[in-house]
Amino acid sequence: MPEVFIDGKRFEYEGEQRLLQFIQDQGMEVPFFCYHPSLSAPANCRQCLVKVGQPVKDRETGEYELDENGERVIRWFPKLQTSCNTMISDGMVVHTQETDDLVKRAQKDTLEFILINHPLDCPICDQAGECPLQIQTYKYGPEGSRFEVKKVHKPKRIQLGPRVILDAERCINCTRCVRFTDEVSKTHQLTITSRGDKNYPITAPDREFDDAYSLNTVDICPVGALTSADFRFKARVWEMNQTPSIDITNAKGTNIDIWTRDNLVLRITPRYNEAVNDHWMPDEGREAYRLFNENRVSRPHQKIDNEQVKSSWNNAFATVAEQLEGVDKKDVLLIGSSHASVEENYILSKLSSLLGYNEPVFTSHTEKGKGDGFLLTDDLAPNANGCRLLGFNEVDNSKLSGLAEKAKVVLLLNDNLVDREVLSEDQLNNTFVVSFSTNHSQTSKTADLVIPITCIAEHAASYVNIDGRIQRSFPAKETKYTNRRLDFEMNEGRLDRYGTNFDNWVTEENKVDCLPFWIVASKLADQLGVDGFDYGNGREIMEEISSTLAPFEGVSYARMDEESGIVLDQEKTTVKS
Amino acid sequence: MKYEFTEDDLQEIEKIKAKYPEVKAATLPALWVAQNRFGHVNSDVQKLVAETLELPEAHVHGVATFYTQYYKEEKGKFVLDVCTCLSCQLCGGYDVLERAEEKLGIKAGETTDDGMFTLNEVECLGACGYAPMLQITNDKYVNNLTPEKIESLIEDLKAGKTPEYEQIEMPLRKVK
Ligand code: SF4
Ligand code: FES
Repeated sequence: MPEVFIDGKRFEYEGEQRLLQFIQDQGMEVPFFCYHPSLSAPANCRQCLVKVGQPVKDRETGEYELDENGERVIRWFPKLQTSCNTMISDGMVVHTQETDDLVKRAQKDTLEFILINHPLDCPICDQAGECPLQIQTYKYGPEGSRFEVKKVHKPKRIQLGPRVILDAERCINCTRCVRFTDEVSKTHQLTITSRGDKNYPITAPDREFDDAYSLNTVDICPVGALTSADFRFKARVWEMNQTPSIDITNAKGTNIDIWTRDNLVLRITPRYNEAVNDHWMPDEGREAYRLFNENRVSRPHQKIDNEQVKSSWNNAFATVAEQLEGVDKKDVLLIGSSHASVEENYILSKLSSLLGYNEPVFTSHTEKGKGDGFLLTDDLAPNANGCRLLGFNEVDNSKLSGLAEKAKVVLLLNDNLVDREVLSEDQLNNTFVVSFSTNHSQTSKTADLVIPITCIAEHAASYVNIDGRIQRSFPAKETKYTNRRLDFEMNEGRLDRYGTNFDNWVTEENKVDCLPFWIVASKLADQLGVDGFDYGNGREIMEEISSTLAPFEGVSYARMDEESGIVLDQEKTTVKS
Repeated sequence: MKYEFTEDDLQEIEKIKAKYPEVKAATLPALWVAQNRFGHVNSDVQKLVAETLELPEAHVHGVATFYTQYYKEEKGKFVLDVCTCLSCQLCGGYDVLERAEEKLGIKAGETTDDGMFTLNEVECLGACGYAPMLQITNDKYVNNLTPEKIESLIEDLKAGKTPEYEQIEMPLRKVK
């Protein structure tokens, strides 16, 4: 196998490899700015310089030439090379800043140049704390600068588009943002204008940077030049908690990170998953953070005299039980939801079979033309395939509304059927509707009883994407009944660890009074006199699912975590007994 | 104002495109066609070029703004780029520039009201051997300037007389 020597260590490699990527893959480091693994490598920042040489071969024999000590004779490239666009070749010898003083010096001097006109305003810059320029200047940069002349000024606070703001002075012209629009989103909306020390990225005159993926440029900008119009100035990076999760605004299952502070979700960023979304996500998915904070149903709500008033949990369970006991079993309709997780839907169907009701039905939520063949899909729900694999009856909208009209009691799992005009308020006039909801909506307003359930940001649960890949979320924010310190699935950030109820970092306000649907269902079962229906968390539900339902065979949280999601065999079906 | 290429321009652009494997390469020469036609490549002209070549507007904008030779706004009929970089500066470049400013009644960077002249102060144009010098509208060099010479140059240009291309012999070392 071909070999390469990096800082005196021998590595074997296969195929075509970029030197910088290879070094990183081995867990070593070379500083860089313009390189990005999913973009082309124009090598314009010059930060990734290393010393590279190739052993000399005897032309006749093809043998390596050896010196008097028996070592291979190395012919060094006349100048330092940018490792990001150097392809590894057999026998190559590389010295990084760890072993070569010239390389170290070159990287330091490059940084000094890059920083000539940089404002060095880290204390007021949003990027501070997650800024490659800041980090690498600390690690590899010069202590001071020899450029004591006035800095060049450039435009600041340019609204490039509805969601992205540019501070041209901070830009180091790495062109990552431009290459993103050229190579990934393919809208070609950005370019670098002017040259020398006056250049910066911009749209064509009178054009907006309204790319459906524009916020990815904020993520990949290695400095604070591009910031999110929505998120800027809201929080310092180190105050937040980062929790892995899944985008719920469509069926792609884009992997995301949810960033919280004091149990408020402040932003959503993409999380790398080669098989799903690479490094990217659509802007639309980032907007979803509001769903987790705003307009949440907190405490059960009951309709009394056409007005919804807060009620108690006990009363809510008693009311549901009363309603269910008062009607014929066939008059009860359970509606599952492609907006809810596999676990929640499974629990709904289990409850219905234990109680002898008809299997839950569901209707998918699609909008033609929403998909773009990349990360947006026509399907606007994260788990339609999950419902299908659970063996739910998929019905069309008119069928569903017919069923609902006929039923006397409807149990509706988190799906805004009235808002999306599948059902109308009038149709439900003579039906007692219990809605298990995360957010207030037209639908929840129509319901006679609203029971608040946890959203994806508050529980661990799984979702099956459009390609049949099952992936799961982690709880990112606490509810009234969960505690970061006791729940091993939850992350603790600095403020969570050190904040107390007596300082002003932490409040109770942002914790929603809601329960996971499986706990709600367990309590209901208890109320209805069903024995042994008791589920505490998503993990144990998934264990039960995988041991009983064929399509989910072998699925576990551990495996999903390990393999960043598992592709399910969609040929297998859940057979109903 | 609406900018449009003439049939001839379009034919020329087609010819340019045929020379390269990709149209992107035609950006620079197509911008020249545009600048020759309209006297500048302001943002509307950039859009026209992008449309004609079917290239992204942002790309054409980036190229047009990279090169100072493309005028991003309307300029005078004659653009006088007076060099004040080191060699010209030492040989009296500023005297030349100042005399031009007086004569035209404008400052460097400005255009005369009648739209005849734009005066610029520029960096080295690579003609240090015949300093001080200036360039007229991306084209002819006028060399070994004196304040008097620039006055008469301006008079000539006003009268429609453009200078000839000049060939200047550099003193060579005598080989014995
Ligand atoms: S704005 Fe950021 S990503 Fe774009 S060129 Fe500048 S530094 Fe690079
Ligand atoms: S990362 Fe190699 S030159 Fe920028």
